[in-house]
Order: sequence, then C-alpha cells, then structure tokens
Amino acid sequence: MNILEPADTPILGAPAPAIAFIILFLSISFFFYVMYRRINLLRKAAPDPRFSDIPTRVQRVLVYGFGQWRQPRYLGAGILHILLFAGFIILSLRSLTLIGRGFSPTFHIPFLTGSVGFAYDSIKDYTVLVVLIVCVIAMVRRAVFHPARYDHPGTIGHEHEAYVILGLVSALMITDMIHDGAALKASGLSGEYYRLPAATLASMFMPTNSMPTLNFLHVGGYWTHILFFLGLLNYLPVSKHFHVITAIPNVFFSNLNKGSIKPVKYGVADWMELEQCGVSDLTGFTWKHILDFYSCADCGRCSDNCPANTVGRALSPKMISVKARDYAYEHFPVFDRVAQPGRSERKLVGDIITEQEIWACTTCGACEAECPIFIEYIDKIVDMRRYLMDRGDIPLSLQKPLQQIKKKGNAYGAMKSKRSAWTKDIEEFQIRILEEGEHSDLLFFVDSCGSFDPRIQEITKSFARTMKRANVDFAILGPDENDSGNEVRRLGEEGLFEQVSSHNIDAFQARSFNEIVAFDPHAFNVIKNDYPEPFKVIHSSQFLARLLSNGDLSLNGGYLRDRTVTYHDPCYLGRHNGIYDEPRRVLKAIPGIRYQEMKRSFSRSFCCSGGGLLLWYENEEEKERMGERRVKMAMEVGAQVIVTACPFCLINIEDAIKTTGNEGKIEVIDLVELVDRSMS
Amino acid sequence: MNIIVCMKWIPDTSEADLTVSPGAKDIKKDDLDFDMNDWDRFAIEEAAQIKEKVGGKVTVVSVAPEESEDMLRECLARGADEAFQIWSDEMEGGDGYATASVLASFINGRPHDLILTGTLAEDDGAGQLGGMLAEMLGIPSATLASRIEVQDKKVAFVRELEGGLYEAMEMDLPCLIAVATGLNEPRFVSIRAVRKVASIEIPNLGTGELGVGADKIGHAGARIEIEKIELPPEGEGAEIVKGKPEEVAARLAEILKEKGAIA
Amino acid sequence: MKNIYVLAEHRKGMLRDITWEAIAAGRKLSSELGAELTCILLASQPNTMSENLSSEGVRVKVVNDPIFETMNSEAIIKVLKEVLTPSGSYVLLMGASNAILDFAPGVSVALDAALATDCFSVETREGKLFASRQIYSYKINSLVSFKDSERVVLTLRAGSFPFTTSGGETKGAIENVACPVDSTSLKKRFVKYVEAEKGDVDISSADIIVSIGRGVGDEPDLDMFKSLADSVGGVLACSRPIVDKNLLPKYHQVGTSGVEVKPKLYLALGISGAFQHLGGIKGSPLLVAINKDAKAPIFRVANYGIVGDLNEIVPLLEEKIRSLKG
Repeated sequence: MNILEPADTPILGAPAPAIAFIILFLSISFFFYVMYRRINLLRKAAPDPRFSDIPTRVQRVLVYGFGQWRQPRYLGAGILHILLFAGFIILSLRSLTLIGRGFSPTFHIPFLTGSVGFAYDSIKDYTVLVVLIVCVIAMVRRAVFHPARYDHPGTIGHEHEAYVILGLVSALMITDMIHDGAALKASGLSGEYYRLPAATLASMFMPTNSMPTLNFLHVGGYWTHILFFLGLLNYLPVSKHFHVITAIPNVFFSNLNKGSIKPVKYGVADWMELEQCGVSDLTGFTWKHILDFYSCADCGRCSDNCPANTVGRALSPKMISVKARDYAYEHFPVFDRVAQPGRSERKLVGDIITEQEIWACTTCGACEAECPIFIEYIDKIVDMRRYLMDRGDIPLSLQKPLQQIKKKGNAYGAMKSKRSAWTKDIEEFQIRILEEGEHSDLLFFVDSCGSFDPRIQEITKSFARTMKRANVDFAILGPDENDSGNEVRRLGEEGLFEQVSSHNIDAFQARSFNEIVAFDPHAFNVIKNDYPEPFKVIHSSQFLARLLSNGDLSLNGGYLRDRTVTYHDPCYLGRHNGIYDEPRRVLKAIPGIRYQEMKRSFSRSFCCSGGGLLLWYENEEEKERMGERRVKMAMEVGAQVIVTACPFCLINIEDAIKTTGNEGKIEVIDLVELVDRSMS
Repeated sequence: MNIIVCMKWIPDTSEADLTVSPGAKDIKKDDLDFDMNDWDRFAIEEAAQIKEKVGGKVTVVSVAPEESEDMLRECLARGADEAFQIWSDEMEGGDGYATASVLASFINGRPHDLILTGTLAEDDGAGQLGGMLAEMLGIPSATLASRIEVQDKKVAFVRELEGGLYEAMEMDLPCLIAVATGLNEPRFVSIRAVRKVASIEIPNLGTGELGVGADKIGHAGARIEIEKIELPPEGEGAEIVKGKPEEVAARLAEILKEKGAIA
Repeated sequence: MKNIYVLAEHRKGMLRDITWEAIAAGRKLSSELGAELTCILLASQPNTMSENLSSEGVRVKVVNDPIFETMNSEAIIKVLKEVLTPSGSYVLLMGASNAILDFAPGVSVALDAALATDCFSVETREGKLFASRQIYSYKINSLVSFKDSERVVLTLRAGSFPFTTSGGETKGAIENVACPVDSTSLKKRFVKYVEAEKGDVDISSADIIVSIGRGVGDEPDLDMFKSLADSVGGVLACSRPIVDKNLLPKYHQVGTSGVEVKPKLYLALGISGAFQHLGGIKGSPLLVAINKDAKAPIFRVANYGIVGDLNEIVPLLEEKIRSLKG
C-alpha cells in the first residue's frame, strides 16, 4: 500500500495544489514586499561605487562567501557555521523539491533524478541529521556557555532571535524527518539506516503501522515543514538573520581599497559645497554601509577583537551595526506607521551612536579583519566624525594638535623651519635636504613624529645611519615636508587632510626620486592609499628586508644577547597593508635570534592605542591602556624584547612598560633601531 | 543683543627661540607664526554661545594688519556675523593705550550691549586693553571672567581671584568683560567651516574712516616707550645644582627665595 | 614727580601681602625722587589696616565706605579720580594681582596716566622713571619709560619687591577723606565670594606648582610632596602616570591632555619631561627640576636642576624653605 502524497491529499475539501499555490503566493508576495522595502532604503542612501573589478569580487564571494574562509578564525563556532551553511546549500534543493511536491507528487528538480537523485536523497538525509545536531549544540552553547560576544548591551529584544532561528531550523529538520520517516515506515523497507539515517530515526519513533497515522504524519509533516520554511523566509528580513540573504552580496560588494578612507561623498565634484559634511543620519551612510547593517549576524567577533572595547571604552563595533539596524527597522518599517510623537526624537548620530563611541575608535581595523562577511567600520566611523568635526564637536584633547597642524604642518606646534633640526644631532655625516628639481634615489619621509618627538627622533637617526652605512642615496624634504595627514583624515578633518596632502604632493612632484621610504606605517599608509596622486612608497621594514636580501647589510646578535624577542604587528603595516613577512624576515636574519610569536599576531595583532594624533587623544572611560594589555601579552610568551615597526607603537608600549612596572624586565625597540644596533 | 569682540593678532612665541632685532626695541618676527591670541579665542567662543542662547549680532574687530584676515575668518566661522579689520601703517608701534583709543572710536556710535575680549595677550602680557577701552567708552568692565550669564539688562559673572577664590558679580549692560581662558570649550573650526564664510567681506578701516587723530595712534599715541628689550640671561639647559643632598637643598631654597618664590 | 601713591589691596578686612611689596617699591622711589609716599586705603572697616600701615611710618589716606568691602573696580576708579586728580604729577603703585588687574587699566585712563603692568623692577635715572617687565610669553625682558607723562600707574609683580619693616618708630599720619562718590548708583555690584569646591584645586591659576611624575615611584609618600607644596604656598600637580595610578585625580594633571598652567614657579619632581607634559607648562618663568635621571629631557628646558633622590632631597628642601621663611 502506498502512502498518500501531499499533493494528492485535499485539505478540508480543497485540492492541495490550490492550497500550495495560495500559501506560496502569499508568502512570496510578502517576502518580496519586505525585500522591496528594505532595498528601498538602500536607494535612499548615499551613492557608493561597488562594481569595479568584478573578477576580484567573484573570487571573494567564492573564497569568503561560499568558502567561509574566515569562519574558522573562531574554530568551534566556525565549524558549526560551516556545517549549517553547507546544510543550507544542500537542503535548498530539497526545499525547492518539497515546494514542487505540493503541486505534483512526482516533482523533481531536473538532474536530481535517477542515481543522482538516489544519492542526493541520502546526502540530504545525512545533512538533515547533521543540521539538527548542530542546531542543538548551538542552542546549548548559547544557553549554557553564553559567550560574552553574543551579548547586546544597551538594547532589548535581541537575545531571543538566535533561539527563534535555531528553533525554526530544527523544526524544519524534524518535520522533514517526520515526512520522510512516515514514508519510509509505510514502504516497509528496513535496514535503510545507513542510507537514510534521519528518516530511519524518525520512523523509529512511529510505533504504529497504521496507514492513516502514517499518512497523517507524512502529509502533516509536509505542510508544517512548508509553513516553517516560508515562515523562516519571511522572518529573515525582519531579524538579524537577514544575513542569510545579504551576506553573499555583502561580500561581493565589499571594500577593495584596504587602507584608504572613502571620500566625503561619492560623485560630488566639490564636497566643500555640500550642505552637510559627514553622516548624521541613516540615509547619510552609503547603501553598502546600510547593507552592512542588514548583514550583521550579531556574532560579535568584531567587538571581541576590538581593542577599544577590550579596555572598556564605549565602542563596540557590533553594537553600531545592531543599533543602526534597529534604527533602520524602526524608522523605515515594513508597514508605514502613523508617526508617534516623540518616537523619532533620538538622533542616530549623537544619541544612539554616541560621540564617545565615535571617538573611541583607533581605526586599527581589527573588526574589519575579523568580520566573516566584510562589514566595514572605519569608513562609517570616519563619516560620523566628519559630521561632528563639521559642527566643531571634537574632543578637547584633539583640538590643539589639529590646530597646530593647520598652522604649522605638525601637531607638535614646532616651527616649520625646525623640521630638519634633528639632522644636526648626526655629526658623522651630512643629511641632504632635497631641494626642488634635485634627484635622490630614495626620499625619506620623516613625518612630524620623526622630526619633532625626541624619542622618535632616535628612530629617525637610526634609520639615517642605516641607510648611510648601506650606501643608499637618500634625502629628506626638510621644512617643505608637512604632516602626512593619516590621522587628520581618519579624525574626519577632510579639509585639513587636503591641505597637508596637497602640500606634500606638490613637494614630491617638484623633486625627482625613485621611491619614498617611511618608517611610520601611518605615513606609509596614507601616501600609498589615500593620496590622490600615485607615488611609489615603501616601509622601512620592506626596505631593510631588501637590503638584507641584496647582501647590503649583515647583522649580529650582540644587542639582543640571547633575549627572547617577539614582534608586534603595527595595525597600519599589517592589517591595513598586509606587510607581515618583511619585518619577520629582518628579525630572522639576526643570527641566533630567539623568536617567539605572541598569541595575538599577524592580522589578530592588538592595537597599542593608536598613532599620530591619537597620541594626544584622552579617553576617560578606559580601565586599562591598550599598550599595557599588549605588554602583558608579550610577557606571557616570555618575551624580553618587543620589536615593533611603528614609532607610535613604540611610544605607547614604552609608556606601558613603565606604568606596568616592568622596566628592566622587558624592552621595546623599533625594528630600525634594532637593525642599527645589530649591524656588523 | 549686540556683542562686539576685540581680537588680537600676535606672534606665537611660546615655542620659538626668540632673537632681539637690531635697535633692541622688538624681537625678530619674520620666522614667527602669527595667530589669534589664545585668550581672545575664548572671548569669541563665548560671544557665539551667548548669541546661540539669547540671539543677537556678533561683531568682531581687530586692530591688525592684513595678514590677520585668517583670524577674522576663523571668528566668522565660529559664528560672528561681521568682522572689521582696522589698520593703517601709522598704527605700527602703538601700545595698548593707542589700540584702545582706536577701538573706542570704532565702537563709539555703533550699537553695543556687551564687549568681550581676552584678559591678556601673550605678546605684551599687559592685560590692559579691556579696562582702558571700557573707561574710554564710559562703561563698567571686569577681567578674568570664568563664567558669564547674560540676564535681562545685566550680566552675571564670576571672576577669578587667587588661590581657588572667585567673586560673583553683576554688571548693568552695556559693559565690557575680559574673559579668562577655560570659561568655555572653544569649538573646533574646520577648514571647511572657514571656507563657508569665505565670501563674507571683511571691511578694512583706516584712520580716515574712524576719524581718529594721528596723535592718538601708533607710536605717537602710545604712552609707553620701549627703551630696550633683551633676552634674560640663561645658560644652556638647566643650571645643575651639585653637591651633597643638604647642600643642594639649601642652595635651591636660596634660589627660590632670590627668585621671589618664597615670600 | 611730587608724590608716590600706593593703593592698598585688602580682602575680607585684611591687607594683602602684595600691598607691603608695593610700599617697598614706593619707599625706593620716594627716596630716589624725593617724593612723598602716601598709601591710599579704600575700605569699609579700615581702622586695623590703616593702623598697620601707619605703624610702618606710611602716611595713609583713608576713604571709608561700605562699597569698599571688596575691591569694586568701578568704585575704585571713580574715587581715585576724585582723590588723585588734584595731585599734579605722581606715580601710583599697586600689586599686580587678579583683583587689581580689574581696575588698574581703567584707573590709568581715568587719571590720564601712563600704565605699565606686572613690573618686576622699577628704577629712576636722573629723575626719569623706568620699569622692567616681561613680554612675549615671559621670554623677553623689556625696559620701558613713560614719555613725558605727568602721571604713571605701575602694577608690580609679586615677589619682586621684598618688604622689610621699618621698625615702627614713627607713625604715619592717617587722613580720612569723605567718599566722593555715591556708592548706591554703581553699575557693577559684588554679589558674593565663591570658594572652589573642596578638592577642586584649580592648578591652572596657581602661581606656584609642585608637580610630581613617574619618577616618584609606585608608592610615593604623597604627604611629603603635599607638605613641600604647602611650604612654598603652592599646589600639588602631576603628570599623567600619577593620574593613571589613581594617586591624584585627573584635574591635577598638567599637560596638553590635562590642564595647561602658567605658574611663576614650576617645581618638577620626578618628571622626565615628555612633550605632552611640557606642552602644559609653556611660559613658566622659573622651572626647577629634580630627577634621578641626569639625561631626563626636563633638564633641557629647566632653569635649575638637581640630579638626585627625591626621598632624600624633598624633606631637606622643605626644611630649608621653612627656615628661610622664618
């Protein structure tokens, strides 16, 4: 006796295909309506050109979207997610098939017939079981272990969302199992547990062989499955689980210009003429940035790696996405609501995303490096800062250095004419100031810190000595150099960035050189990625690595004296520019070096609290300084020497060594200084 | 509410190594960056905040050469409605008294309820302009105001005395208040904010427009004659006091007494 | 100049010390110029103060009126104009204090006099008056004269004119003058004194600052430093590491990120001299540093330095200071 198929079973006298049609029509209509509303908001947002370099985008979708490449950075959760994602892909065919079965009992997706179909049925059945198990593990993990990164501080009504979706997916699996299990039982086949384990498992819970019961389970399982499925589909765009739909597009449209900051507004000839500069409200963000808000799955990996969040500053990147999404759903709802007085008085920028959050960011990029689906934060933060800056609302501690850059081209308030004063400390040889029209092989961009900060001047001098000893033809700009502008731009003062950068560009263009070298990764980054004119620029670590491989330099271990060394990846060298190997190559060229990697290294490096102007920035909320945290991490791996390749990392960590009382136990040194002291 | 803010354009000498120019009447200023007197920045900010609160018009004025336009633009960007630059070559070499005379003739005949300025300027460190100007205008004045609240026809304020003591006072309008640094948090003025006020014209007034006599301005109008300026004698870096702890402590105490630090 | 006048400054019924320094300067000028020295006391209950002044042999002109409970600039300008205008040529001396800064410029205009403020020295050459003051962020000394002014007003920097008692052998005459202005019609009115909240030390306006930095160690004896600050009449401030260790509250922090200060004396103890810190003490005329590190950058900018152990030197220094103060 054959079991009754759903398509052949009228419901309350109505033919099943008609019911299927109505349900499908209603739910798909509703789904598309919601999607229309969601996309409509994107259309109101600021423009953002994201269609360049399609091959790279496709590659990203394959590697990070379908390949889930970043998921295993959190191994346990990553594996669970990969399993769920794979299940989702496999079962999507099954879901289509089941929808078709509402119309015809023999519906098949083309190609999924015969032996392929036979195999797919088995794969699908295993998948159902795996997905169900994963859902149970995920729920237990949340309920019992409750990782902190899943919290939603300061908002309400988000904690249940994960359980709703996991519950719905579990219900889908269970109803599928009931549907198939009843058919299996009715077919009388036995010994199928190895081929159809899920269906077999379900059938084991069906003690009866009575056909009406099995028919009921088969048909009932089917319809509840369909209802859950369509319910889930419609739940996605109103919850954090929108990412199921938007994550792949979000990866496709991800930012390909790492290290650079977006212009104030795309497609505007003169941003200075804009009514408003920067972002004060939701639609001020670009459509991609709103897509980011839609796509955030609240996994909290960004905030878990955010150094500002770690030391107790107000910032949590994830909550920016969550709060902005809440704001979007409230102010651009699926159904227009009658405006309630007082409902919309809280402003997105200022009230919901507070000024403290906005200024707390060091732009280290840890959040962006971690996000499995490439949600961006730095550009958004900078856009919001641009708005605050335009109103004149900036932290007091940042005002003075910015004013100084405006007036004098450096945050230190030193006179322009003294920019090359450090050269007088070098007695052994003369450092050439490259005048207009002259040529040198290498233009050494010293930047403000290297020119005026007494500690950083030591790196400047070390680098000059090293270049001299390697017989490199180099020169500096001297008084014609301006602040590089990396932090100026990232703090949102675009006008000032244009001022300093165009000054430097003019200075570069009036001279002839093969490439620019800088030991400050911030200067390196901004010249490489933000300056509108292309210049060949390398970082000191790349330069040193090149000297070593050319045999122009040989090192000895005299300075290190068998001490254990670790390397701190500066954000603007590593994460923003992918330079991880060169500094390590230089270190490993020191004979007999005892090298130990910190747990947080490479793209997981922990920001020391920011360079450039952020050295002046005072944060009231933080309980611990980032540099102190970093010193502890180095000491945990037994390091006695922290080598870095950024002058601001050096200053912050050096400070932290003192404040943590570890003077004499551990030392921090710039790679350039280490090379200078290890030359033989 | 008509607020007039008097601004000073001065060389930034805080970081610079100064050299005395030949004749020993002034320092060499070619290499120095000029900027708004820091104290006056608080005055213009206070004016802007008062305007935001009670409405009115803010007029900025400075007796300074053309290069000071940057400063006046910054004031406009902060919220001033109009700015005037007063200068003619004969004004060179004036002192606070001469400047006050010029400002008084500018302000006389112009509606004014409240005049604001900084108490002190870093260049001459005299702290005299506000009080002189008010007396010339025949209005009451106060210096070192660390809080200002404009009320109906009068202004309540707090001024600093020494050692953590303040006096709360009130004055009838019109009056002049010279502010202390720190009475507000001056807003940041971005490059774009200055660009936005680029089209506002800043009239340049000379002696003719003001009707102030040649005997009142510049060196002729000054009441002080600078005889000679010089760098205070000092060695390279600190003079290191050496010796046993008792000796260095005793010597340092004597130095402090000599320098008037122990009264 | 026929007369030398000194305007007495008082607060809460007491003469302020700076008045005596102005008298010291007045004595010097009166002997050099052969002019008579008179102290003008505008007060509401002047008797004790006028007696004090008189007992130093100073002639005192007293205007007794309730309005002079405090140093109200409007009333002082009006009264001085009435009292001094008949005097012909004279020098009026006052202390360069925050109270006097409120009216000295107005007084000079009202009296049609030349004004030099914050003078650290005054001298005469062949009957001509000169004063020295500092300009350009206190970095330059400037010697000024007063053209042909018949009347000159000078305010005098505290600590520049040490006063020594005359021994009280002759008493100065006390002359009472009726208040020539109607004190009920003033446009500027005193309301009340406001004390800074307890603990709310305003280091930004302090003249003397004793500041401690990382070099004081992890568990410094704060009382020792407070006591030293008391001995010089200064306030205790610090650099960032001290705030970070919660040893002193944030509003004690000197630096670009903390409070910017302009004291007359800055005593830097265990402060290495990071630029963020030095940025907050620009224009300090007297910077004294004590640090165990002879290479500390602070020594590059300090006027005087001691290389040594704070725990050893600070108590000794306090002892010497207290003994010098007598």
